[in-house]
Amino acid sequence: MRAREAEVFDLGYQRYTGPREGRNRARLALFENGVRTVLGIGRGGRAKILPVGLFLAVMTPAVVFVIILAFIGEAGADFIPGPADYYSIVSVILIIFGAIMAPELLCPDRRDNVLPLYLVRPLTSTDYLIARFLAFFAIVLVLVYAGQIVLQAGLILTASDQVEYIRDNWQDVPRILFMGVLIATFISVGPLAVAAFTTRRAYAAAFIIAAWLLLNSISDGLTVEASCTVVTTDASGDENVIEESAFETGDTFVPDEEIVSRECTRPAGDLAPYVGLLSLSGVTDNINSMVFEIEPSRDNAGPSSIAVAELHDAFPVGVYVLWTGIPALLLWHRYRRIRL
Amino acid sequence: MRQTIPRLPLLYTGLVPALLEARNLTKHYGSTVALDGVSFDVHDGVTGLLGPNGAGKSTAMKLFLGLIQPTSGSAMLLGEEPYRSTEGRARIGYMPENECLPKSMTASEFLMHMAQVSGIPPSQARTRAADILRHVGLDEERYRPIGEYSTGMKQRVKLAQAIVHDPVLVLLDEPTAGLDPDGRQEMLRLIHRTANTFGISVMLSTHLMGDIERTADSVIVLESGVLAQEGAVAKLTEETETLLIEVADRHEEFVTALAAKGVQATSDGQMLVIEQAREADYDLIRDAAVESGARIRRLSPERRTLTDIFRSRPA
Repeated sequence: MRAREAEVFDLGYQRYTGPREGRNRARLALFENGVRTVLGIGRGGRAKILPVGLFLAVMTPAVVFVIILAFIGEAGADFIPGPADYYSIVSVILIIFGAIMAPELLCPDRRDNVLPLYLVRPLTSTDYLIARFLAFFAIVLVLVYAGQIVLQAGLILTASDQVEYIRDNWQDVPRILFMGVLIATFISVGPLAVAAFTTRRAYAAAFIIAAWLLLNSISDGLTVEASCTVVTTDASGDENVIEESAFETGDTFVPDEEIVSRECTRPAGDLAPYVGLLSLSGVTDNINSMVFEIEPSRDNAGPSSIAVAELHDAFPVGVYVLWTGIPALLLWHRYRRIRL
Repeated sequence: MRQTIPRLPLLYTGLVPALLEARNLTKHYGSTVALDGVSFDVHDGVTGLLGPNGAGKSTAMKLFLGLIQPTSGSAMLLGEEPYRSTEGRARIGYMPENECLPKSMTASEFLMHMAQVSGIPPSQARTRAADILRHVGLDEERYRPIGEYSTGMKQRVKLAQAIVHDPVLVLLDEPTAGLDPDGRQEMLRLIHRTANTFGISVMLSTHLMGDIERTADSVIVLESGVLAQEGAVAKLTEETETLLIEVADRHEEFVTALAAKGVQATSDGQMLVIEQAREADYDLIRDAAVESGARIRRLSPERRTLTDIFRSRPA
């Protein structure tokens, strides 16, 4: 075999003559970069700890439920939380994920002053925001669906008659898909709006978590059934009156007696249903109850959600629209007026 | 290999729009007037935007880039309004004055990303990023996070991101600011290469005349938001050439003979100085020397630097 002859490569400057795909390529690049940023791809091990940790945290409940189902079989399906409860169970983790990861997408670009470099390229500030939003939205969506898929798979596989299970529960699929979109929108747009007003990621995260804790505690604290008067009848037909005091609102065990009436007072009084609308976890929990057609009770919901259930459906829907619409407008307005 | 970019003769017939075109460009920030009715054109080659801090240089650049909008008048970029057209912006590059780099990204990843945001598909973006980083001398360090870079290296990444998509024109805002003498020389060399080897037209703003002299073909001088002067750098310095003449004897006769021919010479006793000498003056000086019988010992043109020109201009 003959040795290759020496070749001289021209390492001089080459003009670019390839395709230029303009605005759509720019949008796609920002979306892709957003996904990589959140997941910590291409930036060392430490940046991956949080996304991986939070992903595991979101998956854990589903995996645990499936393991339990695997051991005790179909009977477990009666008391293991199902698809209807899953979103409210993981909502705490999702809020933390949003609070920590969403600012990652907007704050560094403004702190490091990268925004002008984007805006002199074939993009507008609205393109930038939409690409960043969609990147985060897509990640949250995958996150919320992943747990549900694992849970569904577990429920189907452990059912004694799988065809029957699917026939009885197929409606859960569109519900899960629809609710996932609503939750991912809420978890994305709010934290991004907060992040738009600070260049410090930690401030944004602290603000979101503080607002969440504060609004939830105010709402739950004012709608909780503080004291109840329970009237029961025993076997002989005599009526007994039991007073339940504050924060002892668990089921008072009254053997062989039938509850005739149960009247409770709440700190917010008649306004309790409206005060319940303040709860941030309620924003999606209330819609979740509507979508999955479940009645909020003390078994599956917090005081705020129980109180809100007394209102017409338009109220929680309106609250959801406000909590997603106003942050979206704030975001858009903020980036339109940004000084460069 | 040097690529010759044809200097379009059409440019001067007005058929091809200027790269940048300012018409009565005015920008107010509240009650502060940053630019006040400025008009000028920028054609291909290297154009210097010269002026002290606060003269309106950065404002002018941001107006051309569409980052801000004019209060009145117009700033056209490649014949389009930059804040309306995203297409024009795909063919220009911008290097801001301030820090503008993401600290946690590597230079390689950042350049690839920026090429794509300029519309270049991923596979070509990868090649462009590697090429440009090599051209600005950041081959070895490209897989390190930018946060760990020195000022000079960051400045080169800033230039690299501005030309990674092979723009027609690149706007450099104070590219030598904050650099040590070596870094400054390196940056000026890169700017020269960008224009002459890469064939990318450059507009650079600076408050240092030396930067303009080293790199620019033409200069636009801004002072307090108004256009103070514009023209080709060579012409500007040529027009104000000073001739120094040393004569052995017949000093006064020589000056008188010159004056008779309409050439004003000032004498400091030893040397004669003729300000703003023109090509034709050489013949007159020769004639005057013959007539007066003065023996010329030395005749030297002193092409003045831009620094001298601006120093002698009334404030």
